Amino acid sequence: MISEIPIWRIKYLPKTLNEVCGRASVKNRLKEAINQRNFPHLLFVGVEGIGKTTIANLFAEEFLGSYYDANSKLVHANVPLSDEEMKLARSEAYVSTNKLGSLAGKKITTPAFIQVKIKPFIQLKVLGNAPFKILIVKSFDSLASNQQAFRRLMEIYGTNCRMILITTNISKIIDPIMSRCQIFLIPPVNFSSFKELIKTIAQKESLKIEDGIIEILYKISEGKIAHAIDLLQLSSISGDAIDSETLYENSISPKNEMVRALLLMCFKGNFPKARELSRKIQTSYKFTSQEMFQVMLSELEKIPISRYTRTELINLIAESDFRAIDGRDTDIQVSNLLAKLCSFSEYL
Amino acid sequence: MIYLAIRSNEKIPWVEKYRPTSIKDMALPVAKVGRQKVNLAEELRQFVLDFFKEKRNLNEANQKIRAYNRSHEEKEHKEELKLGLEKAAILLEGPPGVGKTTIAYALANDLNMEVIETNASDIRTKAALESKLRETTKSRGIMDFVVQSKKKIILIDEIDGIYGVTDRGAVPTILKLIENTQFPIIMCSNEYKQSLQSLYNKIRKFEVDSLTNEEMLKIARKIISKEKISNLSVNDLNLIINKNDGDLRGVINDLQGISQGSSDKDSKDLILKLNRDSTEEIFALISDLFQKVNSLKEARDLTNKSDVDYNFLYKWVNENLTSFIKRNNEIANAFENLSLADEIFGRIRKNQYWSLLPYFYDLFAGGVVLSRKIRSSDEGYRRIVFPRYTSTGFFSLSINEKSIVEKIQKKYKISDIEVVQEFIPFLRVLCNSSRKQLGNVSNWFELDAKEKKILK
Repeated sequence: MISEIPIWRIKYLPKTLNEVCGRASVKNRLKEAINQRNFPHLLFVGVEGIGKTTIANLFAEEFLGSYYDANSKLVHANVPLSDEEMKLARSEAYVSTNKLGSLAGKKITTPAFIQVKIKPFIQLKVLGNAPFKILIVKSFDSLASNQQAFRRLMEIYGTNCRMILITTNISKIIDPIMSRCQIFLIPPVNFSSFKELIKTIAQKESLKIEDGIIEILYKISEGKIAHAIDLLQLSSISGDAIDSETLYENSISPKNEMVRALLLMCFKGNFPKARELSRKIQTSYKFTSQEMFQVMLSELEKIPISRYTRTELINLIAESDFRAIDGRDTDIQVSNLLAKLCSFSEYL
Repeated sequence: MIYLAIRSNEKIPWVEKYRPTSIKDMALPVAKVGRQKVNLAEELRQFVLDFFKEKRNLNEANQKIRAYNRSHEEKEHKEELKLGLEKAAILLEGPPGVGKTTIAYALANDLNMEVIETNASDIRTKAALESKLRETTKSRGIMDFVVQSKKKIILIDEIDGIYGVTDRGAVPTILKLIENTQFPIIMCSNEYKQSLQSLYNKIRKFEVDSLTNEEMLKIARKIISKEKISNLSVNDLNLIINKNDGDLRGVINDLQGISQGSSDKDSKDLILKLNRDSTEEIFALISDLFQKVNSLKEARDLTNKSDVDYNFLYKWVNENLTSFIKRNNEIANAFENLSLADEIFGRIRKNQYWSLLPYFYDLFAGGVVLSRKIRSSDEGYRRIVFPRYTSTGFFSLSINEKSIVEKIQKKYKISDIEVVQEFIPFLRVLCNSSRKQLGNVSNWFELDAKEKKILK
């Protein structure tokens, strides 16, 4: 028996497609595909955190059976390449001479991400008795203009490898990709399945939890199971029965809390301290400046201020975000925003 | 040998005086093709000899083709053969002062050939470039027909600065001239350029690394013993070598500069001046900028006078602004100027609009410091700090972080970003609640003591 897994969200991960909580329609469609031993390229769309990648992984596992390890791969498209991978891409850079339509006769170079992470996998033939390989690409929308290169790959290597593309934002996917895929809109869990799951967990971990609390849990976590289980685990540490207060207390993520503290510090007008704190947040969470601005924006919405003030502040954030796109030093743009917020404090 | 005769002449730069004239006298730099180490001297030698052999074969074959064409009709004409591109030219890529030019000259000397050197980045118009390159690659002066003169090797320096390298016009020009060259071409470049990628695909590229500090120390000691300099210790030499960061030419120039500098100053001071010059200068510049400048013109003059790299200077302004400007509205004003300056600078670099540079200067220097209404020059000393904080804007992990991320990913398959931004903060909260939790979690992920600390 494997040793007890201390983290509940890993412990209660579904191990087969059937065990996935709720989403019956999606599961049925996928089971059809498994029965027919065939499916086209797939595109999974849904809010972040509801289980798209888990479902994709389990589906691939069930489809390929014992040939899963050799014939499937999960790639994160939003993680930048490390230095060694970039060097590899440059030193073995080559030119594609495929001629398609308006690109006929031109020599095209493939982007580094595709060269290093995708091509080595899909160019190899299927190993064993599986109909094709499966490539799962997470955060596909972060590829932006590199999606064009994928379009060619899907056509050329389609028989050898099927792709499951996962994205949160369907408007960022280009039309040619959408037309080559079967689209699955993955909804969050419905309340009744969610309740069942939480009740099972509570029983296994000997927790006392009432129905009303499960409803609050569902609301706070917005139907995202991993968050809900995390929250459950954090709230259960004290050992008492779980009530709504403990839930709300534990639901504030440390990252958002720190940014909120940052904003409040700005409103007090202490610029040097604010800058120090913001740099600390950026290094410990490895935020890019754009992510920083987004979190600041979402935290700003929760602070009680007048509508006029809020609009002004949103304007400031927007301006800084805009300048950070062209600018060379994002620290200056963030510092500029903080300085403006601090000077704004005189009017609050 | 020639170099003995002019040895006594002080005016010859030491870089020329001590340049090795034969491969066996050189400390060869390390060279790689892709990731394989190669013997650069051997490869170059083989390349040159092969070139002439191939050329000869080609010329013979072409003569036969021409004879055939003369006796046949137009439609049966055969095309003349051309030399393959990768046999006609190679590229040496490496930082300055590493030995690229030297090895070409030394090789030519050993093979009893001449070098024709030309610099690609000097030429400003496309037409001038084409004509200059045509005359170097095809030159067969009248003397070549009269007297059996030496074979030539063509050296094209600074190919990464060639006209058109920023907008893809460069590679076709380069390829055209390589096609028809009569002599082997060695090209030198300082860095990888994306717009030359199609060139790199057609010819061999050797990446040349600099010599090690120990090798440079050996050479430096040989030179100072030949020049009879007695007041430089090994420590001083190491200072010079470190400052030059792999550039042997820079080291030799510095040695010459010190020995031929003013004779009444202690040479050690001179060396230290070489090092501290930049940082002390910046400190002085920043405090003058904030405390003494009263108008835009004065700010301009101050920044023009110094030759501190503006890439760095505005980061210093960013870091030290708060030591001098204390009021929130003035800080906001100053940062507005600085942020505009940064945006302009980004656009300048991206689109090469260098004519906008004066705005950048005015904004980050004058605009920032003049945000303060009340300034006094006898404000006293303010602490100035080095801009240590660098926001790379990219997601990159330190070694400690990488190890814990890998261990977590073994058991739970999520991306690096998710681990750092979501999962580890959650684990921290979980582990802070009780010792037992910390123990359980770190046992399950098999973390060692250092990694466990990250979760505290």
